[in-house]
Amino acid sequence: MKYFRDEFDSFLDLNKDENDTLIKLRKKSFENFMETGLPTSKWEDWQFTNFSSLNAGDFRLSSANDVIKPPGIVPGQIPHSHLLLIINGHYQPGLSKLPKNVTISSGADHYFSHPEFYSHKNMESKWSKGLNPFYSLNTSMMNSGICVQVEENTVLSNPIQIIYLTTAIQNEIMNHPRFVFELGNNSKATFVEHYIGSTSIGYFNNCVTLVELGQNSFMDHIRIQEETSGSHHVANSFYGLSQGSTLNVNNTSIGSSLYRHNINLKFCDANSSANYNALSLVDNEQHHDQRIIVEHSSDSCQSNQLFKYILSDESSGVFNGKVIVEEHTRQTDANQSNKNLVLSPSALMNANPQLEIYAEDVKCSHGSTTGQIDPEALFYLKSRGLSHKKSMELIMNGFISDISELVNDKHISEYLNKIASQQLQKIMK
Amino acid sequence: MLEIKNLHAGVKGKAILNGLNLKVNPGELHAIMGRNGSGKSTLANIITGRDDYDIISGKIEFNGIDLNEMAPEDRALEGIFMSFQYPVVIPGVNNTYFLRAALNAQLKHFGKKEINAADFMRLIREKLKLVNMDEKYLSRAVNDGFSGGEKKRNEILQMLTLEPKLSILDETDSGLDIDALKIVAKGVNDFRDSTRSFIAITHYQRLLEYMEPDFIHILIDGKIVKSGDISLAQEVEKKGYSWLES
Repeated sequence: MKYFRDEFDSFLDLNKDENDTLIKLRKKSFENFMETGLPTSKWEDWQFTNFSSLNAGDFRLSSANDVIKPPGIVPGQIPHSHLLLIINGHYQPGLSKLPKNVTISSGADHYFSHPEFYSHKNMESKWSKGLNPFYSLNTSMMNSGICVQVEENTVLSNPIQIIYLTTAIQNEIMNHPRFVFELGNNSKATFVEHYIGSTSIGYFNNCVTLVELGQNSFMDHIRIQEETSGSHHVANSFYGLSQGSTLNVNNTSIGSSLYRHNINLKFCDANSSANYNALSLVDNEQHHDQRIIVEHSSDSCQSNQLFKYILSDESSGVFNGKVIVEEHTRQTDANQSNKNLVLSPSALMNANPQLEIYAEDVKCSHGSTTGQIDPEALFYLKSRGLSHKKSMELIMNGFISDISELVNDKHISEYLNKIASQQLQKIMK
Repeated sequence: MLEIKNLHAGVKGKAILNGLNLKVNPGELHAIMGRNGSGKSTLANIITGRDDYDIISGKIEFNGIDLNEMAPEDRALEGIFMSFQYPVVIPGVNNTYFLRAALNAQLKHFGKKEINAADFMRLIREKLKLVNMDEKYLSRAVNDGFSGGEKKRNEILQMLTLEPKLSILDETDSGLDIDALKIVAKGVNDFRDSTRSFIAITHYQRLLEYMEPDFIHILIDGKIVKSGDISLAQEVEKKGYSWLES
């Protein structure tokens, strides 16, 4: 834990010219973090995930020494997308070509101009259920990230892709990126938030993403986590939906030895809908832990969640999903489904789907299943002359096929299919 | 084509077939009849190589190849096909993709050029007509949301596409109404020729009315106790099986 204090002190030294409000916020957040420390197995919502490797680690905050020249071909780039590239926590402005009616500000600029937005008071009033030590840690040292704002009445035909690349580092680094995606009223856009690692040295990304959808807006948010197998990836994502808005999320995670993601989704106003599909494909000793809270705080909103895991070797997964339907809300329609395929006797899945319903006019469903490859299905395919490997591949691809249904962009679909089938090949071995 | 000699076999160590002999020549259709538990489905599973089903003693040869220890996919590539009694639903696996992959596995096995998507669509559309199936089934997942009759027709569609040498029809008539039964039987009859063989496993004579079997075998306690022509099936239909028990 000591390195957090050292890194925080030198971070403050280096950023003396930040405004007082922000410095105060950082200090307060850091105190909060130090008070609680990292979550332990005694914390109910964190009990299946062990953060001792972060405690024992010695990650240094990414510095100017980690600025490198962008590679000629950026890995993971999706054709026709507007690329925003961040390497080792350092934004590469030269590469970005953005369409009209979209403004970006580097994280720092946005903190300076909107300190109140980042204030604890603001966050606590809206996201009381979603704040945690990793959020505080991120606020104390948020050092990278971008705020992207799409103006009202804007329809973007091509996705905005943010690639957060960690590569060519000399020793173990950490970053605390803060992203803000704001979609104006009546606008439509696709955001790709893409984490990629290419290094044999360990690192720790502790991300926070705030997504705000304006009235009658429509957003596809694709989150891709392709960190290296030696990395740690912790994330807090917050989605606030205004009246009449629609959100589709595809969250595909294949990397990291330790991945914990807290997802908070809130219907702030009536007549909105959100579909959240998530896929984790893991092997070796990877651990993927995802927790989602969907708050139905307004009338006539609809939410669908589908979380799927395929686990091989000694990997483990956690799904913790909660739907809260608040008192006095009407006509809520909420569905939650979690399905897991366990390929090895040593792999482990913990699933905990929950509903908290305080209103009467609701339609809710939830369920979770964990099983192995159906031997009947396997024999059926083999009996038609398909090899064991091909049969397994078909069954697993079939299992995950509905996850990508929410992706409307052809190029993104192709990319997701490509990395999923590569990962399936790897975990089948 | 298929020769079974004094076969003792079972599932998970329990003997179900007790000295079964059967010889199927090219062009023949053999019907195997028997009560529940007589070993009919075990025979089908043993020939196709399902896990957990083991040969205790005896031999099964297919065109001179010993099938014992041969993986189910290799048997399929050699030309053995089973129309499943309970076709399996495979969520998310597209019917067309699956069937083309199966056909290509076979073409590859015989060192032939794989079929491309366009040629395959032409081929499959022809085959669909033969079993009176709508094209919409092609875009669905394998057997997903299919009725009992549609699943059985899908099995016959696969048979017609893969063109096996030996087809085992495991209770293909069960769960079919008379119209569907006629379609399935016609699919099989049109496919019959002097090189292809069939084993039809059934409880009832009903299917055989439409299929003209060359031989009828009665299976009791894992053994063929009597063989004959279609008149044997008619006799069983009238008198049941008990008169055949020793």
